[in-house]
Amino acid sequence: MTNRIFSFAFCVAALSTVLLAAGCQDVSTELAPPTYKTGIPDTELRFTPFKKEFPREYASYMKNNEDTVMTEYKGSVPFHKNDGVNPLPKGFKHAQPYLKNLWLGYPFMYEYNETRGHTHAIDDFLHIDRINRFSSDGKGNMPATCWNCKTPRMMEWIREYGDDFWAKDVNEFRGKDKINAMEESISCATCHDPATMELRLYSEPLRDWLKRSGQDWKTIPRNTKRTLVCAQCHVEYYFAHKDNAPDKKPIFPWDKGFGPEEIYQYYKEHGPKGADGKSGPFTDWVHAASKVNMIKMQHPDFETFQDGPHGAAGVACADCHMQYVRDDGKKVSSHWLTSPLKDPEMRACRQCHADKTPEFLRERVLYTQKRTYQQLLAAQEMSVKAHEAVRLANAHTGDRAPNYDALMEEARDMVRKGQIFWDYVSAENSFGFHNPAKSLHTLGKSAEFSQRAVDLATQATMFAIAPALARDIKETVPPILELSRAKQQDARFLEQHPWTKLLPVLPPNKQTWDGQAFTPPSAPSM
Amino acid sequence: MGTSRNGPQLKWLAGGIAAGMVLLGVMAWAMTVTDARPFCSSCHIMQEAAVTHKTGTHARLACNECHAPHNLLAKLPFKAQEGLRDVVGNLTGKDIPRPLSMRTRDVVNANCMACHAQTNINVASMDAKPYCVDCHRSVAHMRTKPMSTRMVAHD
Repeated sequence: MTNRIFSFAFCVAALSTVLLAAGCQDVSTELAPPTYKTGIPDTELRFTPFKKEFPREYASYMKNNEDTVMTEYKGSVPFHKNDGVNPLPKGFKHAQPYLKNLWLGYPFMYEYNETRGHTHAIDDFLHIDRINRFSSDGKGNMPATCWNCKTPRMMEWIREYGDDFWAKDVNEFRGKDKINAMEESISCATCHDPATMELRLYSEPLRDWLKRSGQDWKTIPRNTKRTLVCAQCHVEYYFAHKDNAPDKKPIFPWDKGFGPEEIYQYYKEHGPKGADGKSGPFTDWVHAASKVNMIKMQHPDFETFQDGPHGAAGVACADCHMQYVRDDGKKVSSHWLTSPLKDPEMRACRQCHADKTPEFLRERVLYTQKRTYQQLLAAQEMSVKAHEAVRLANAHTGDRAPNYDALMEEARDMVRKGQIFWDYVSAENSFGFHNPAKSLHTLGKSAEFSQRAVDLATQATMFAIAPALARDIKETVPPILELSRAKQQDARFLEQHPWTKLLPVLPPNKQTWDGQAFTPPSAPSM
Repeated sequence: MGTSRNGPQLKWLAGGIAAGMVLLGVMAWAMTVTDARPFCSSCHIMQEAAVTHKTGTHARLACNECHAPHNLLAKLPFKAQEGLRDVVGNLTGKDIPRPLSMRTRDVVNANCMACHAQTNINVASMDAKPYCVDCHRSVAHMRTKPMSTRMVAHD
C-alpha cells in the first residue's frame, strides 16, 4: 500500500517537474535574432553556397524568378512602361504613354520596363537598350557605377580599383569572364555577412550617407536596418561630377531632406564648378526638344516611404515585403521580394491589420493607386506641354517681350522642377501607396510648376505661341510609342514624329553585344 | 460502535482527506501555472503574444485572465479543449489563426468587462463597437507596432 502512495507521490512530483520544466522560463523581451556561424567565407558573393545551410530562405528567394503575375497597377511582367497600346508582355493597361517624350535625349527614351525579381537583376541589366550595345569598340557609354545596385561583386571591384572604378565604362565588366550573371545577382551577400548572416551594408553611397549624417551601422537598431538594407538601392541617386567628388561616384542627394522640394534645392548645386569655384546646378541631361537642363529621378522608394503613414510609424520595408512565414514548423522571413498584393490573403498586411479582410485592404491600396495614377498622367501631359511651350518660345523669331531672357530662364527652371516632381512619383514603385498624401501633393505641385512654365514662355513671346498651345497636347505632341538605339539609326523613322525629328541620326552600326557575348564588327567592307 | 478511535477506517479517512487536499492543491497549482505566460510561451509560436504581453500594460496578469472564462465550471472544459487544439495545431505546424476565433474573442471581451465594468458603468460603450479592443487596439498584443518589436525568426 505504501508503495502505491509512493508511486502516486512520485507521479505528482514527475508531473510537476515536467510542468515546471515546460513553463518556468518566462519569455525574453530582447527578441534577439538567431545567430549563425556558417563557415562560409565572408568574401562569398554567389548565392548557391548558401543553399545547404539556409534551404528555407533560399527556396523563398528563388520565388523571385516568378515573372508572369500582374496586379492592378504593378507586378512582375517587364512590360514597356510607356506602352499602353500593346497587350502584355509588351504593354499594359496602366502605362505612362509620354515617358519617351519626357526623357527625350536621355537613355531612358530607349527602354524602361516594369521590374522583375532580384534574381533577374543582371539579366535585365544586360538586355536593356539604355546601355549602348552597338558601339564597335564595345563601350556602353555609361559609367561602371551602373553596376552598383546590381551585384554584390561591387565589394570586390571597389577593393580592387577604389574610386577609379566608377568612371570606367560599364561594358568593361560585362563579359562572362567578369561576372556570373546567374550567381552574382542581388542576393545573400548584398544584405548579409556570409560568416554570421547578420544584416550588413555593401553599399558605398549608403555608407557615405550614414557617415555624412553622423550615423553608425553598429548602433542602428534592428528595425531601422530592416529598412536600410533596401535603401542601399531603392533610392534616388546621381553620379558625382568630377569637380566635387571622385568622377561618377554614386551619391544619394539627401543632405537637405528626402522630399522632392529638398532634392530640387540640392541639385541647384553639385554640378560643375564655375570660375568662382562654386558648384553650379547639376544636370543629368539636356532635353532634346526644350533644351532644358533636366534632372532624372530614380526609384525614390525609401525617400517616399520614410515619412509616409507606415514609415513614420516605424514600419519597415521588410514588415510588408518580407513577412514571417511558417515553413515546416520554422518561422523565417520570406525572401520573395515582390508586390504584397499578389497574395490573395494579404497575409503580410494582416500581421498588423488582423481585423481587416484581404478585400478591404486591397481596396484601400487601390483607392490611393487609382487617384495617383490619374493625377500622374495629368501631370505628365502638362509637363509635355511645358517642354513644347519652351521649345516654341526658343524658336520664336517674332516680337519678344522686353524681359524675354529672364522669363525664359524662369520658364526653364519651372520645366525642370515640374518634371523632378512628377518623376519623383512616377519612378517610385508603389503608385502612391507608400505615401499617399505626399504623392498626390507632389503631383499637384508638378502640374502647377509646368503650368507656370507654359505661362512664362507664352508671355516671353508676347503670347504669339498661345494659339499653338491651345490645342490638345496629344494632337500637337503625340506620345512616342516606339524608340530604340536601332530605330534612331533610321532617318525616315525619326521624321515621323515632331519630337523624334529633333534627335540626331545615329551612325549605322550592327549590334555588337548580345547579353554577355561581344561580336566585333567585321572588317569595314560596306 | 465496535471500531476503535485509532482504527484503520479513521486512518484511511484521514489519509484520504490528506491525499485529496494534496491532489486538489496540486491541481489548483497546475491550473495556475498553465494559465500563465511562462507556460503559454513554452511553445515558440506563442512568442509574439508573450513578448507583447510582457511589455504591455497587462503584463502582471496571467494570459488566461483574458483568454479563458473566469467561472471555474466554464473554464475547466474550455482550457482542456483549447489546450488540446493548440497541441494538435502546434504539432501539425499550423499558424495562429488571424483573426482569432469568435469564441475566443467573446471570452476575451467578457473579461475586459469583468475587470473594467466600473469605468464603463455610465456609458453605452458596448453599443457602437462589438469589442472593446476595436478602440483599445494596442491591448490586442500591440499588433500595430513594427514587426521587429514583436518577433524574430526561429532558428
